[in-house]
Amino acid sequence: MAPKKKEEPKPVAAPKPPEPEPPKEPEFNPAEVKIEFTAEQIEDFKDAFQLFDRTPTNEMKITYAQCGDLIRALGQNPTNAEVMHVLGKPKAEEMQVKMLDFEQFLPLHQHICKAKDRGTFEDFVEGLRVFDKEGNGTVMGAELRHVLATLGEKMKEDEVEQLMAGQEDANGCINYEAFVKHIMAG
Amino acid sequence: MGCGVTKTSEFNRKFDKDGNVIPAAITMKAAVLIQRWYRQYAARMEVRRRYTWNIFQSMEYADLQDQIKLYNFLGYLMDNFTPPSSERNLISHIFRENEVCRDAEWERYFSYTNIDVPDIYSGPRLTFPLDMDQAADLVEAFKKKQQLHSRYVLQLLLETWKLLKVLPNINRVSTCHSKEITICGDLHGQLEDLLLIFYKNGMPSLEKPYVFNGDYVDRGKDSIEILLILFAFLLVFPGDVYLNRGNHEDHIINLRYGFTKEVLNKYKLHGKRILKLLQKIFSWLPLVTVIDQRVLIVHGGISDTTNLALIARVDRHRYVSALRPPKKKTPSRTNVYADSERYDEMIICKNRRGSLTFPKPFGARESFQRRSLQDFSRAVARTLEEEFEVRRRQGEFSLSSFSKSHRILSSAVSSDSEPESSEFTDTSNEEWKQILDLLWSDPMSHDGCIPNEVRGGGCYWGPDVTEGFLNRHNLQLIIRSHECKQDGYEFCHNRKVLTLFSASNYYEVGSNRGAFVRLGPDLVPYFVQYQATSMTRGLSFPQNVKRTEHTALKVLREQLFVHKSDLLSAFQEIDKENTGLICLNEWASAIERVLHLDLPWRVLHPQLVSSTTDGRLDYHGWFRDLALKKPSSEHIEQTMLETLYRHRSTLETIFRIVDTDNSGLITFEDFRQTLKLLSAYLKMEISDEVINKLVISTDTNNDGSIDIDEFMEAFRLVDKSRLERGKSLLKLMQDNQETESPQPVYSTAPQTSQCPASQPADPPASNTTDSACSQTANPPALQTADSPGSLAEDCPASQTEDLCHISVVVPPQ
Repeated sequence: MAPKKKEEPKPVAAPKPPEPEPPKEPEFNPAEVKIEFTAEQIEDFKDAFQLFDRTPTNEMKITYAQCGDLIRALGQNPTNAEVMHVLGKPKAEEMQVKMLDFEQFLPLHQHICKAKDRGTFEDFVEGLRVFDKEGNGTVMGAELRHVLATLGEKMKEDEVEQLMAGQEDANGCINYEAFVKHIMAG
Repeated sequence: MGCGVTKTSEFNRKFDKDGNVIPAAITMKAAVLIQRWYRQYAARMEVRRRYTWNIFQSMEYADLQDQIKLYNFLGYLMDNFTPPSSERNLISHIFRENEVCRDAEWERYFSYTNIDVPDIYSGPRLTFPLDMDQAADLVEAFKKKQQLHSRYVLQLLLETWKLLKVLPNINRVSTCHSKEITICGDLHGQLEDLLLIFYKNGMPSLEKPYVFNGDYVDRGKDSIEILLILFAFLLVFPGDVYLNRGNHEDHIINLRYGFTKEVLNKYKLHGKRILKLLQKIFSWLPLVTVIDQRVLIVHGGISDTTNLALIARVDRHRYVSALRPPKKKTPSRTNVYADSERYDEMIICKNRRGSLTFPKPFGARESFQRRSLQDFSRAVARTLEEEFEVRRRQGEFSLSSFSKSHRILSSAVSSDSEPESSEFTDTSNEEWKQILDLLWSDPMSHDGCIPNEVRGGGCYWGPDVTEGFLNRHNLQLIIRSHECKQDGYEFCHNRKVLTLFSASNYYEVGSNRGAFVRLGPDLVPYFVQYQATSMTRGLSFPQNVKRTEHTALKVLREQLFVHKSDLLSAFQEIDKENTGLICLNEWASAIERVLHLDLPWRVLHPQLVSSTTDGRLDYHGWFRDLALKKPSSEHIEQTMLETLYRHRSTLETIFRIVDTDNSGLITFEDFRQTLKLLSAYLKMEISDEVINKLVISTDTNNDGSIDIDEFMEAFRLVDKSRLERGKSLLKLMQDNQETESPQPVYSTAPQTSQCPASQPADPPASNTTDSACSQTANPPALQTADSPGSLAEDCPASQTEDLCHISVVVPPQ
């Protein structure tokens, strides 16, 4: 039964079940994706793609492991599961080894861009509000750290640290609207 | 990847303010949401970090191009002066060798015994032979920002010189008795990094041998202190400290990159002698180190002709500077100099990561005569010889001891060139190239070996050359430095070549880590990375990224501004209808065509362009937004300003060479001549009237001399965006005083209770100077006039704990 709060938390839209791995979704087929980006957008993506290209001879290829980062750098925010899905569920050891080039990358990116729910500022705030026990606009830093490191698509300790650095006040509380603005502003 | 089973979800039960349980599902959703956003944030940070790095690397390459411009200009001078034109004096200024010859005379010249040390000097008083405690005390003293008295400096340097003269060209080290050897790369005057290394790894000792791989000086502000520390330990532990020569251990390079200036500032009375002595010491530094006959440590690298047997035999001290070979070439006066435009066109396509992109990077330019340091120095030597000849006849000239060759040379001149002198010459040319290759080369990803035209000396060598070299010499690994790496070190060539760089925050605070490596008898490298963060304590990683990014962008904007004329023509070529607008794509490709910096302009454009309408950019407005000229340079015409700005480091170097008494002033006449020569070289008109205006714009001392620093200041651009953000005037002045090494300028974020390290830019905390002993030194307060005032006042001099650092120990691969 949904608890009563001052505001009803907006549920995150349907395609996001609690488990990161959606068991029923069919395998991803890049060939079926229609690219709808404009030429300008594609130029932008190419530039960013090159930034991630670490091959010594500049082959315009990135590893599977970088794919998620690149998609995120371009403004999307997929879950790790979604990234793995479009990559075809590679094994862990393949992530650093298998590469893709720009042409292979485009359909993956397109698919993620088309995903209906991308999450807005409000969604994000709502997500944090869940942890606002007092309903006063703050969350306990310690609690948030714990959650982020143990639930969902767990974050590593140093990632949590980076996220939270300098955000807690003297009482260990975080004003989450400010926090969200900080994250979104980058 | 689930979130753990029931146990965890029980543990993670959440409650709302009414005490009701929040279903785990919602908590989960929330967690995932936040994590998604975090990861996007991290990815954006990463992109910024990367392009910031690319910007710095590109700027460095552009800067190296500047160096080549300097050589070209000097070459032009040599080619084009005609006696007895007035310019000749200027040029002979530049290449004049000083008096004095034999070693005994040198020792007299460098004598320190009649330098008195005042009682009030509170720095270390060295007694020779040095011992371990004194070396440690020296480190402590420098940590406290004291300055070693010039008497002890000279004494220490003399002792070092004596020791170096008996060392072989190739240091041979062994890891017997399970001793681990520590190897450090470039330090570039960054004392905090050396102190950090000692802190983490211990100071050199019998149990702790060290190899230092060159480039101790230039760019950073404590080059002399680093040298003194390294030499002190070398004297105390000659069997356990090994120093290699780097390309910056070269007095002409030092003129341009700051070491000369540093020494002259710190040691006003004896600086020149100290520099002269260092000139000799640098030439006596060993060239390479070999560990267990298996690992080669060299500053730059190798070429396809590198031959260690030959290296072992050369008289290394004859190769004083990359710009001065010891002998002339046989007089076949091929014109190796193209004019400036054609040479400057030869800007190499640079890979962002510092190795060549294209299989044939020089493409159609292969037919073009390649200028290299060697070519240039040959020409320099040639005309030097002519100089000698003239002076010899005039009876003014006395030969330097290290160039007996010159004696041979000038007699050869008078009796027509002899056949054996050419053979003699070829050997020395070969040796010359071998040494240049060792100190200047860079690895590349493709097979082969080509001249390194970005640096102007040495080669780019490929994996096949590494393979061949290692096989021929029965070695297994090359450890080199010379190039900045973001993580402090980087392998290439199938892990057979390791680049090691020990100056963290090299481009800017937060730009990169430094690293050192330990090798035990198994010869498996063990890395320690670090970042001296005394300047950024209290700033989080994202804030760090932002600061670094800000600096990079500022530098980039300056580059755009000073290329305005070229960019404008490029834009107008595209915008044929003169609408004043171009689309982003064209903007990006035009910039790349003009600047050749190989940067991701589309990714950068939000940072460089404030607004676009319909994806089109108003380029006139954009130029207006970029930067402002300083009021003092308002009247200077745009193209002139751009040209002078682009060649400012050349100009500055020439000025400093010309300023032979190191007063910081040059005569109006020299100034005028330099500018005229530069403009002739650039095929630009610069009338006397314009020169006069230039002079007037900077405060002259009304005695016909010009203050070099003040003049160069006129060409610093004001960052318009900062101005408009309403920063205080003080901050503005501070920014304008930024020199090559970053000053600890703080953001407005409130600091934590611990105060960041005070960084008095120049003056030592103690009262010691080496000026006239009879006077009492100025109290420190007065001396801090130059440093960002607010910092010195706010912060107590917290010392040893300042070296807060991030370190990641990487286990052996």
